[in-house]
Amino acid sequence: MAFLTKLREFSAWHTVAPPLVFFAMLLVVGVFNSNYLGPLGISIATASAAPILLVALGQSMVLNIGSIDLSNAAISLVGAILLAMTIPAFGVGAMIAVLALLTVIGAINGLILAYTHVPSFALTLGTLGILQTTALVVSGSETIYLSENRELVTTLYSAKLFYIPLTFWMGVVVAVAYWVLLRLTRVGQNMTAVGKNESGAILSAIPTKWVKVIAFAISGFTGGLAGIAIVAQAGSASASGLGSALLLPGIAAALVGGTSISGGLTNPLNVVFGALTVAFVPIAIQAIGFNAAAQSLVYGIFIIAVVTLTTTRTRGLVIK
Amino acid sequence: MTQAYPPVLKLTRISRSFGKVKAVNNVSLQIDRGEVIGLTGENGAGKSTLLKILAGIERPDEGTMEINGKVANFRSPNDAFKAGVGVVHQEQSLFTNLSVAENIEQQNQSRMGLERFGFQNWKRINADAAAVLKKIGVNLDPKARVGDLSFVDRQMVEIARAVCVEPGGDGTPLIILDEPTAVLEQAEVEVLEREILKLKKFASVIFVSHRLDEVLRICDRVLVMRHGVLTSDRSTEGVTKDELFKAMVDDAPTVSTHARSSRPIELKPAIEVQGLTMKGKFRDISFAAYPGRITALVGTNGSGRGRIMRALFGAEEFDGGTIEVAGKPVHNWSIRKAVAAGLAYVPAERKVEGMIGGYSGTRNIALVHPGEAARGQILRPGKMAETAQSWFDRLDVNPNNIKQPLDQFSGGNQQKVVLAKWLNSSDLKVLMLDHPLRGLDVGVSQAVNAEIRKACDHGTAVILIPDTIEEALEMADEIIVLRDGQLSARHDLSVASDLAIKEIVAEMV
Amino acid sequence: MRNLSIKNLSGPTGILAALVVLIVLFSLLNPRFASVENLQNVLFQVSVPLIIVVGTSLVIQMGSIDLSVEGVMGAAGMAWILLSPNTRLEGDIGVWAWFVALGLGLVLGLITGAIYAKLKVPSFVVSLGTWYVGLGIAILLYGNALLPSLTSEALARWPTQLTLGLPNCFWLAAVILAAGVFVSHYTKFGRGLMAIGNNEPIARSNGMPVDRYKIAAFAIAGTLCGLAGILATMQLGSGSPDIGFGQLFVVIPAAVIGGTALSGGEGGVIRSAIGVFLLIILNNGLVLAGVDPDYQSGVFGMILLIAVIAVAWPQRGRLKVAK
Repeated sequence: MAFLTKLREFSAWHTVAPPLVFFAMLLVVGVFNSNYLGPLGISIATASAAPILLVALGQSMVLNIGSIDLSNAAISLVGAILLAMTIPAFGVGAMIAVLALLTVIGAINGLILAYTHVPSFALTLGTLGILQTTALVVSGSETIYLSENRELVTTLYSAKLFYIPLTFWMGVVVAVAYWVLLRLTRVGQNMTAVGKNESGAILSAIPTKWVKVIAFAISGFTGGLAGIAIVAQAGSASASGLGSALLLPGIAAALVGGTSISGGLTNPLNVVFGALTVAFVPIAIQAIGFNAAAQSLVYGIFIIAVVTLTTTRTRGLVIK
Repeated sequence: MTQAYPPVLKLTRISRSFGKVKAVNNVSLQIDRGEVIGLTGENGAGKSTLLKILAGIERPDEGTMEINGKVANFRSPNDAFKAGVGVVHQEQSLFTNLSVAENIEQQNQSRMGLERFGFQNWKRINADAAAVLKKIGVNLDPKARVGDLSFVDRQMVEIARAVCVEPGGDGTPLIILDEPTAVLEQAEVEVLEREILKLKKFASVIFVSHRLDEVLRICDRVLVMRHGVLTSDRSTEGVTKDELFKAMVDDAPTVSTHARSSRPIELKPAIEVQGLTMKGKFRDISFAAYPGRITALVGTNGSGRGRIMRALFGAEEFDGGTIEVAGKPVHNWSIRKAVAAGLAYVPAERKVEGMIGGYSGTRNIALVHPGEAARGQILRPGKMAETAQSWFDRLDVNPNNIKQPLDQFSGGNQQKVVLAKWLNSSDLKVLMLDHPLRGLDVGVSQAVNAEIRKACDHGTAVILIPDTIEEALEMADEIIVLRDGQLSARHDLSVASDLAIKEIVAEMV
Repeated sequence: MRNLSIKNLSGPTGILAALVVLIVLFSLLNPRFASVENLQNVLFQVSVPLIIVVGTSLVIQMGSIDLSVEGVMGAAGMAWILLSPNTRLEGDIGVWAWFVALGLGLVLGLITGAIYAKLKVPSFVVSLGTWYVGLGIAILLYGNALLPSLTSEALARWPTQLTLGLPNCFWLAAVILAAGVFVSHYTKFGRGLMAIGNNEPIARSNGMPVDRYKIAAFAIAGTLCGLAGILATMQLGSGSPDIGFGQLFVVIPAAVIGGTALSGGEGGVIRSAIGVFLLIILNNGLVLAGVDPDYQSGVFGMILLIAVIAVAWPQRGRLKVAK
């Protein structure tokens, strides 16, 4: 315990650790398979990291206000399916419409949270169930392939800049945008204030309800971008295909990226490293010779370990 | 007869300090079998710390405590319970989802027969609780759910639970009642008083109360504390309220230190309330605060003054009455509207409510009224730092580091930043402060008071809830005294210059 | 008065009434619903979530939550089938397979409980972690081979066999349920969980071993999830890491509509069990009425949403903080 406390007091943890953890992971993988340290490795890792990064960025914004969004990965999956269905007919217009719809879905989560004070994990567990069904029903439990306008999205994946696909760059741009939002705007400052101390924020006349709605709307919007990344990568979408298991990697990436589960602390730029680390997990597991599907074991341990290491514990505080 | 038994409680030179403050200072006292002792004193006189020591929540730094002749060294509330000290706390501490019997028998782990083969023996538990309720003469169903009971009935369950303590041998239980009447209606108070007299038959009682009438009526003896010291220990026979007031407050007969300025009294109040009422909390409160004047709300903790202030700030609902700000009545009052109308509120719970602890001074100051530091939604980091730096310099915040998270500062310096956050408004109409000097040392207190006066001089109306009456007399132009949620007196200090503290205390209790 | 309105919505009488209405409605809509086969089918479906919900209720009663259900089921179910007579024939150790599988559930529960109680990490995060740890263990056990099938006829048919007219799997669930009711009403531990959920600081100051109770509650929940994983594997006749898929969306809404408030201190095992019946019968009736089974988690998610909002609505306040 004393050791844990010391480690947490080392305040640089949140700023320095995410890149360090990533490079350590890179090194381990490199030892087993040096190919991963070259351009090919960079392409593969960043490509698989892109959807995780986008989901994690949305999650970070919600974690930053002290809540959690268990539905955001399902939002991106619904988004991917809707995109695969509508892009052939409507092209870019479909993308805009789907993003707008998903933003509204996120905002609804936020509205319910703000006006009913339901614990966010219970609320979003409910919406998660609804969205899972939506994904199955809308897709008819089938894989939907992009017939027309395919290259409109798939270029985002195939076109590369410095060996890195555009989908990952999209994540980086979003990360920078969210960094600016949090650090340099009043609404961003208010979000962090709500996460650090909601009572203090309420009594400082911060519009806490709107802050929550906006944070969840952002989570929905970013989930939509993750949906685009999924469709770009797979050229198709299905309820059980690529992107159907993004919830845990997303939360893990946010936490490994230095976001605090108790709120008020996140750095979107570090979440980029968190996402890369998490994307390397299946690669590393395979390199050691296990079934890559066992990655969920590692994600689970990641989440518990990071939260255990970074939670601040006040004496006498009741933890539920 | 009493010689046959050791005293139920004997304290010898008990002291307990928090930092530099001696909350309990060298207290010695003795309580015998069947005695009902009243304990009274102003807020912060050290009563609660003394109770906490008796209840096993705090441990004394010095001195010895004997219960029924045995030296007691409590490490937990459970130890106190086992030694025979039963406490009814000010805040009810029952499990509202469990039955009356379960609550009463909660700590009775050692009593035989409540468990059979390790399992709850409901028959015995209910029968046992029924016996306890009968012993104290209360008619309650042991199987009833505590959450469904009225407040005074729950109080009875608390007493029944306290009575279950096990003093062992022929020891006598010591029952402590911490301000049990603070939130009760008159009829309920009478029920409780009868109850206490019944307890006398088999227990000794310490009854803590602000209300001297009650203390004089029920108790055999009354103890008064002031600044941690026991200042009076008298039999209730023959003692007058006046004598007790004297023991409660400092000797200085009249305080009128602050030369009240010849500020012109403006005719238009900055904020005015008429008949403000919140059921069960406060009722029919009417007063006004004027630009350039300080109005102090004085009363005990249960007087409702904190809630009234929160209602003015839109942080608390109220069911009746009106609030007028700058002559206009408000509707659907909320914190956001209050702040937009130029109100500010410095809460008593500084760390939890007053500031964002994890944020720097810069961020805290830019939170409500960023002024120059924001253009619309966009923050300007350079201007933010500039503003924060000028406040840190002006208020002499130490350490002078605007980037350091606020929770790493001392309480006094935090309070300066909290003030800066509100004072950074260019258009501050009403500044409300709840215990602004709580936990601050003398130097910082003076700086904070100076800043409050300065705001006042600039035409802000100040409403203040002071820690002490001295503070009220020093700062305020008008004192409003509250008792049990009602306005009991008001004093315009620019007229009445020789107001005695004693007089105000008499209006409070 | 405020309490009354919540009770009407989610109290035992309310939910029982809802259950009766549902049964009558479905019986009228579809004659097949009230048939003996279908009722046996309902009891067959209800057994697994009934076993889980006993543990879930104990955990929620003390104000915590256990999200690890599906992962623990997967791990225990997979361990059990690989150690029982199966198509992969890796090692049949007979009755010891039960001990290993239940032990795995117990250990996962203990880990969740210990990290939650001792390291003070919110239970929803820890159990989210152990959910995926369990799932990962199941996948590792499964490896890259074919899914194992149960080869012992006796074991595969046991759940559906009737004893006194009811399927064995339901008898098992009923025994667990009875034990759960007994623990929560007649042991100091069970009453202690209610006390912790109502007011943890007071429970602590009364000298209650709060941390040990918390760990024990999660250990019980983990073990029961293990048992549920075994039973589900027997019912299916083959192992799968996803054996518990969808169960979380049955047991948590069931507990909440049964009146086990997520804030703790309310509700009980019986009420949650009624909640399970309500949801399973609702699902069964909808499927008979021709609704796609895909709708299940959506319908249950919606019910969870409405139930939590109904509970939270009266407690709103200006300064209320919602995480």
